[in-house]
Amino acid sequence: MSLVVAEDITKDYRVGEMIVPALRGISFEIEPASFVSFVGPSGSGKTTLLNLIGCLDAPTSGRMTVAGADVGALDRKEGAAFRGANIGFIFQDFNLLPVLTAYENIEYPLLMVQNIPVEERRRRVTALLEAVGMADQAGKRPDQLSGGQKQRVAIARALVTSPKVVLADEPTANLDSKTAHTVVELMKKMRDELQTTFIFSTHDQKLVDEVEILFRLEDGLLASRGNGEG
Amino acid sequence: MNLRYVFKELTHQKRRTVISVLGLSIGIALFVILNVLSLAYREAARAPLKEVGADITVQRPGNVPQELTGAVFPCSAVTISEEEIEDIKAIPGIRGMGKAVLLWIFDPNRAWIVLGIEQNNPVGPSILKNFIMEGRYLETGKPEALVEAAYARQFSIRLGDNVNVAGRPYPVVGLIDASHASKIAVANLYLPLSEAQAIAAASKNLQSVSPFAGEDVNLLFIRADQDRITAVAAAIKGILGEKATVATPESFLKLLGSLFALSDKFTLAASIIAMIIAILIAFKTMAGNVAERAREIGVMKAVGWTHRNVTMQLLAESVIQGFAAGLLGLLIALAAAFALGFMTVNIPIPWEMSPTPHFLPGGGDPLFKTLRLPVHIPLSLAAFALLLSVIIGGLTGALLGRHISKIKPSEVLRHE
Repeated sequence: MSLVVAEDITKDYRVGEMIVPALRGISFEIEPASFVSFVGPSGSGKTTLLNLIGCLDAPTSGRMTVAGADVGALDRKEGAAFRGANIGFIFQDFNLLPVLTAYENIEYPLLMVQNIPVEERRRRVTALLEAVGMADQAGKRPDQLSGGQKQRVAIARALVTSPKVVLADEPTANLDSKTAHTVVELMKKMRDELQTTFIFSTHDQKLVDEVEILFRLEDGLLASRGNGEG
Repeated sequence: MNLRYVFKELTHQKRRTVISVLGLSIGIALFVILNVLSLAYREAARAPLKEVGADITVQRPGNVPQELTGAVFPCSAVTISEEEIEDIKAIPGIRGMGKAVLLWIFDPNRAWIVLGIEQNNPVGPSILKNFIMEGRYLETGKPEALVEAAYARQFSIRLGDNVNVAGRPYPVVGLIDASHASKIAVANLYLPLSEAQAIAAASKNLQSVSPFAGEDVNLLFIRADQDRITAVAAAIKGILGEKATVATPESFLKLLGSLFALSDKFTLAASIIAMIIAILIAFKTMAGNVAERAREIGVMKAVGWTHRNVTMQLLAESVIQGFAAGLLGLLIALAAAFALGFMTVNIPIPWEMSPTPHFLPGGGDPLFKTLRLPVHIPLSLAAFALLLSVIIGGLTGALLGRHISKIKPSEVLRHE
């Protein structure tokens, strides 16, 4: 059974009096434990699509099903609960909370969203810190970490709730090529270990080379679907 | 909501937190100080009356005989009849009453200001018993006299002497320094009330302008329920007429003419302005902080925070700031109150209440009661100010939290 099913999805934005179509009837399916990327030029609809999968936005028409739930039909509260349980996010700008340490940044979705007991939190956070190679940086705040280290922490944060899908919007855009490669390798490793589906948006060719399934978007339409080289 | 995160946020944005707390605390301090000053002036205005154990003094102005011989009443205090006294006693809210007779006695070789007092009535001039310098206080039922020490020195009157007043001899049993006791209801000779009443009743000159019977008086001291003083004063005027001099703490407050004593409305308006400034400062700094954290809150929402989680987080942060501002505001107010406590205030005593005839030396001089401003912060005011600060903080946080919680993560998390 597919983990993500998009059926004839459209998304329009209103800009003043104008209606701007961002997605114009897109359909696709993504299997569990996939390593998928949406590529395309700026404005092609990559981020919009990730927002719809991540239940951060609702489609104008069509149906988006994630882990069996019609995410477009969830109300705000249900959407928040769904994201907390099923979706992990990795951002281009890392978006770690500046006041918290690396450890606390990974811990807070468990503490503040899922209310997991302290021992279980410690076990999960410690395991992930080791898995992303940041165990020795646990006590540092984001401003004391490099870009690559921040993104490792962000990956651990995205995975700590054991989500079914991790959505990564341009995850390597702010990293140098060597660090970007290391981060992608890390995500792949985590996919292999945890069987979590990773979905990216990118126009980084090096990342494109690493993915297994590639969806190419152009002007809000799915131009092609192919197997990557990863 | 997580307290560790709340405190980390507050300490991370130290500058903003300090400005926000400081802004609100200054408003709270102003609010407390304004109210404390108002209370202090009110307390000070009570002082002249408190000295004679009363909340209200009552006199009735009238005429002075053309010829100042023998016993006469001052023009500011003529007869209050026994019937009128009974009517006044029946006014609701009165808890005690003292009576006195104030006389000017012009004997051929000396002028006396005589006050006839109820020796053991705690309401009225019996406070004098604490200011005996020599000898003893008046004993019940005995026709004896106390003499003001300065007057006694001036006229070489000694303890044990007999003084002749309006043709009646009185042994001097005590010398008294009433200048430390009170500015009102003072004289240079003190007699039992019944003696002064007898002198007044026997004075044809006095009777010619102000008929006086045996149990009448010309000064009343009244203790009343604090919340009914104004009503009692109005009722007394209803009995004695609008021209009656009814002195209350409120009337002394008016005489003070102080900015803070003008009215409750001024204190209320100034307090409200102080609080509005405090709220604006707190709101502006907290709003700036929240706006800067839009992206952070977007991340929180993306990982599963609900509107309620966001609101509760900001509410907790602002309530803590409000509490800290309240405490700091109280500390500032405490320091200001300490400094204000060194201020002295001169409370003018109306000429009507001055016992000295204006035509005698010093009689026309303005009379003041000078005292240190009695500044203190009541616990109830401190608690209210703290609560107010927490409420302002809480409301600000709830309002901002409600507003910011509506942001869409998809909008704030777009690449810059």
